[in-house]
Amino acid sequence: MIFRKNEKKPSNRLWIFLAMIGPGIITANADNDAGGIATYTIAGAREGYSMLWALFLITIALIVIQEMAGRMGVYTGKGLADLVRENFSIKTTFITMILLIIGNLTVTIAEFAGIAAGFELFGVSKYVSVPIAAFLIWIIVIKGSYRAVERVMLFFCVIYFTYVISGFMAGPKWDHVLKGFMVPTFKFETDYINIFIALVGTTITPWMQFYLQASVVDKGVKREKYNYLKWDIYLGTFVTDFVAMFIIIAAAATLYVNGINVDSAEEAAIALKPLAGNYAFILFAIGLLNASVLGAIILPLSTAYAVSEAFGWESGLGKKFGDAPRFFWFYTIVLLAGAAFVLIPGIHLIFVMIFSQTINGILLPIILILMLKLINNKRIMGDKVNTLYQNVLAWGTSVMLIILTALLLAGMIYPRSLDYITEMVKRI
Amino acid sequence: MYLVGEIFLSEVIGKKIYDREGESIGKLTDLVIRLGDVFPRVVALAAETAKNETTVIPFENLELFNRSTITTVILKGEVNGRQILENEMLICRDLLDKQIVDITGAKVVRVNDVKLGDVKGNLCLIAADVSFSGIMRRLGMENVSQDIMKLFGYKKAPDLIGWNYLQPLQTTESSLTLNVQRSKLSELHPSDIASIMSQIPHRERAALFDTLDLETAAEALHELEPDAQVSIIHNMDKEQASELLELMPPDEAADLLGDLPEDKAQELLNLMEADEAEDVQELLEHEDDTAGGLMTTDFLSFPPNVTVAETFKNLRLVAPDVEMIYYVYVVDDNDKLLGVLSIKDLLVSHDNSMLSEIMQDQVKSVSPDADPEDVADMISKYNFYAIPVVNDDGIIMGIITVDDIVDLLIPPASRRKTQRI
Repeated sequence: MIFRKNEKKPSNRLWIFLAMIGPGIITANADNDAGGIATYTIAGAREGYSMLWALFLITIALIVIQEMAGRMGVYTGKGLADLVRENFSIKTTFITMILLIIGNLTVTIAEFAGIAAGFELFGVSKYVSVPIAAFLIWIIVIKGSYRAVERVMLFFCVIYFTYVISGFMAGPKWDHVLKGFMVPTFKFETDYINIFIALVGTTITPWMQFYLQASVVDKGVKREKYNYLKWDIYLGTFVTDFVAMFIIIAAAATLYVNGINVDSAEEAAIALKPLAGNYAFILFAIGLLNASVLGAIILPLSTAYAVSEAFGWESGLGKKFGDAPRFFWFYTIVLLAGAAFVLIPGIHLIFVMIFSQTINGILLPIILILMLKLINNKRIMGDKVNTLYQNVLAWGTSVMLIILTALLLAGMIYPRSLDYITEMVKRI
Repeated sequence: MYLVGEIFLSEVIGKKIYDREGESIGKLTDLVIRLGDVFPRVVALAAETAKNETTVIPFENLELFNRSTITTVILKGEVNGRQILENEMLICRDLLDKQIVDITGAKVVRVNDVKLGDVKGNLCLIAADVSFSGIMRRLGMENVSQDIMKLFGYKKAPDLIGWNYLQPLQTTESSLTLNVQRSKLSELHPSDIASIMSQIPHRERAALFDTLDLETAAEALHELEPDAQVSIIHNMDKEQASELLELMPPDEAADLLGDLPEDKAQELLNLMEADEAEDVQELLEHEDDTAGGLMTTDFLSFPPNVTVAETFKNLRLVAPDVEMIYYVYVVDDNDKLLGVLSIKDLLVSHDNSMLSEIMQDQVKSVSPDADPEDVADMISKYNFYAIPVVNDDGIIMGIITVDDIVDLLIPPASRRKTQRI
């Protein structure tokens, strides 16, 4: 008999992979958001190339945690908040959601602060740039299908390469880069430890677990395609940390070498101008803008997904506003609140940043433990629970992250606490 | 036993249960319900004893059951843990916080709380609360949330959906019993079923699908995305799958078989009735992106020399199995297309007129390898409900109906998830 050929389905593996690309790459890249870039810049400016080796740790941590979220999404067909609601008490769900909403709101504010700062580098007032950016982001998400929004975000992921170029333009000493990459160095000094903690901490965030799993579900990734998703996650993590490396290199080759200290990414961009030329400055500024915009799309979205799942509201980018009103309203409110906050005249964002780190610092251990409990539950995951090896890796990563987060919180609440710890370590 | 009017589950969970002498038996942790009736009856209580063991107390052993007091007529020592039977479910374990299908809204909702009430003297599960106030009640913050609501001028009653409009999704140990119940999902429009299917995890899709009657299943299957269709057909037993395919219009069955691996498709074809299989087989031979791939072989055809009255008589016999009955195609003995009539033409014509006298003999048609876009243009230009597909010899091979064209141009929401690259 003659069988009709299937609809133009590319049997070619590369094609399938290209179609699967999305959740992993976007989530990993969005981790390099406004706050992340500031952290990498400061690390490069203060410590030169010496922290590059930490990117190894970050890459492993990111892969371990992201793979778990992706696997749960594919094999249960449910988002993380869905699973938390169905398997833990309603109190746990509620507290997690409240923390997540507050935490995500503060991060959204940081993203819009990044947008404002990025445009101000080009001489555009924040009172113009922020409302326009907020409106454009809103329209894309409200009107776009999952696929359309994903494509927009993938486009933003490509722009990250401006950092790679500006890294090259900074003219780094490649032998130093290699040494910083290969030779782990660690100083038992408060400042150094603080930056180190921030570096690892900026990579693994509560919102990304919710976003990755929800987007895997919204995209409708099938079980048979799980291996492609895994590669999407690996590739995304690799690309993300490759970009992070070049941010550190750009800052180290210019600011560190000349002994210029910076406290933010926009300061770094301005300082780049005389050192690496106007183009390097422009590329660096575009990179910051791009990262902030991607973050400003993804954070409200992650919040809307999670809250809708937990409370059982209709959700999904493919739906019309009227079919999933609460999902889109939530998204709208978080987006607008984040944008509006930045526009308050004379606002000091430093308090918001500290508050943001605190809330997310409290939430992260909770989320990691919930995830580990879920992924090891046979009733939920069937035979796809963590293997012993995966568990050792996952628990190890989580414990490390929780310790670092605890140190970060301790350092914020009681700045001298790190000094004591380093003193103790030195005595040993 | 005297029953209170209505209670929310959250009001009694965690309450202490006392025996006849006031000894505490344990804390109420769950309620056992028996499925089968419209409103499932509460048949037993699950309680956690002081030793952290779970014990099950039959409902008939209770003396009082209300918001403030739960007492038994037996003594603590007489409670012997009864087993949970095949056709029973635990409300907290299997329903609370889970997703269920709301038949009225044709969507998936989450059970935030459960309302129990008196139905003919039995305590039954009567409704699910899917509102936010249900969550607040569970958190013991109902008053707080209502005060906040009042500030904004809301006066919100809990959003209750009667159990008779609900169908669980979860495939629990007791999923077998769900199939025994008449499936509520079958009352929905197939397109709504498909959109619900597209909202739930794959694992639960097949189970939910199994609860549908074959007729509804066949209609809903077509609305699903190809991937979901394939996985459902794969998980069914072959006999059932072939019956399902027979019930589907041949063009839809062909689409589905075209997505299956060849050996599986062949196997199912062999199981189907001969003439149904033949129709599908014919359709399978056309390329997907041509008029031939879109058409169905189900259409009404009559010879030119019959009267309107005879036509009507025959129509009543064949119409039930034909999807598109608005047009009657007039063909000769070799299936050569001579003309076309609409039902309206027949209705307004005299009973004794011959079809050849009243038919439209300038028939607009398309060739089997025409581009679907062109077919869509034709249908839209002439406002047809269907257009015949005619080969070079003037033989009618099938028709393309307007809904297939609309689906092609605007895929149904339940299919939009799949991406074509």
